[in-house]
Amino acid sequence: MIMIAYYAITAFLLFLVGWNFVREKERRQDLVLYLLVMIPLLLRLLRWK
Amino acid sequence: MKKDSLSKAALAVAFLGLAVWGGLPLYRHRHRGVPVVKGPGVTAVLRLSEFSPGLKGTAGDTFVFVLQGKAPGGKALLMGNTHANEPEGMLAALIFIENAVVEKGTLYVIPFFNNSASRNTRPGDGYPLYFDIATDWGACRFRYGNRDASPLDQWPDPDVYIHYPERQLLSYIDVRNTNRTWPGRPDGPLMERVTFGAMELMRRESVDLAIDIHGAETMFPVTNCIVAPEKSVKIATLASLTVKAMEGFENHVEPSPAGFRGLSHREIGDHGPSLPFLLEAPIPFLDQPTGPKTTKLLLDGKDPFLLSLSRKKKLFVPYDEDGWPLEKRVGQNLSVALEIFRQFSKKSAGRPIAVRGVPRYADAVKDGVGRFLADPAKAAPGGVIMN
Repeated sequence: MIMIAYYAITAFLLFLVGWNFVREKERRQDLVLYLLVMIPLLLRLLRWK
Repeated sequence: MKKDSLSKAALAVAFLGLAVWGGLPLYRHRHRGVPVVKGPGVTAVLRLSEFSPGLKGTAGDTFVFVLQGKAPGGKALLMGNTHANEPEGMLAALIFIENAVVEKGTLYVIPFFNNSASRNTRPGDGYPLYFDIATDWGACRFRYGNRDASPLDQWPDPDVYIHYPERQLLSYIDVRNTNRTWPGRPDGPLMERVTFGAMELMRRESVDLAIDIHGAETMFPVTNCIVAPEKSVKIATLASLTVKAMEGFENHVEPSPAGFRGLSHREIGDHGPSLPFLLEAPIPFLDQPTGPKTTKLLLDGKDPFLLSLSRKKKLFVPYDEDGWPLEKRVGQNLSVALEIFRQFSKKSAGRPIAVRGVPRYADAVKDGVGRFLADPAKAAPGGVIMN
């Protein structure tokens, strides 16, 4: 149950950061930061080992 | 608009490439096998999941090597790599598997007790992914692991780990530490299922002795010792005194604290039939104030900062220019384990454990650890287990 909740939180955070990445138009450094933040979230969500 | 999307896509692809480039060495480390040659005394190879079905198909499952003697006698369980960044335990266990011939009694040997941790690393501390042991037949490569199981195998961590069954509050990270999850439960977090498997093995097979082999910092007071609870302390003391008198190395006895839960030297004895012992050999690599965490430091244990601290009497073990090499650490584990068997056999005449073929401290120091590792290329067909 806790694990499902954590995966749901991960998916939600990934959606938020991804949405910001798509919406960002000007600041390149923010784009890089969004991508950096998305890497561990994506790896966890896809369960890449 | 189109240009913006294209540049974002290019950036995303570049990041994905970076992630793959950085992740590949970790992927290879996680999936690399270590050959274990079935020695002349190995009579069966089991999986821990046979005792804890919840481990089946997980990275927590691990091999259990059985060395059954021709004559009946006592039974002992040897565990290495409970902490996979303390390889002297795993190497001592491998030397038993590849060399020991049991004449009386039965040995159960688990060389990679925390199999998941042996496939984990600690990049923030600059841990090497591998280390090589020189042998007569070339270098033998081993994974260098971490203290805790990989979060890829057990996740998420709780805010606080509530120990089962005592409900003592432990650090969150200890939920992945197989020396805090004893005695375990069949349906708990993965590491509790690992320790439960070992407990079940000991209960079902009426194992007399359980030896959990570790390494500890030179600046940590519980180092270079045998940790034993009340029920094991007589045998531990006799073993300690004997190796000092006969083989010339120190290995004092530390009492297992009754109020600190989850540790093998406490819970094994409280929840099963076995007498537990935890062996600690000094491993300078684990100390914090050292130079770079290189494989050289891991193998020879020589560090100028520790030498300076030793001169200021800040260490709990004697330390000089010779460091504290792997040969000494593995050698003392071998001798102390053999001495525990001997002392137990003297006290329990009906359940002797007699083992031959295993080198002792002086042999390991003189010839090196690699001298006692078997060549997988020369093993009989089916004689190599990849772990």
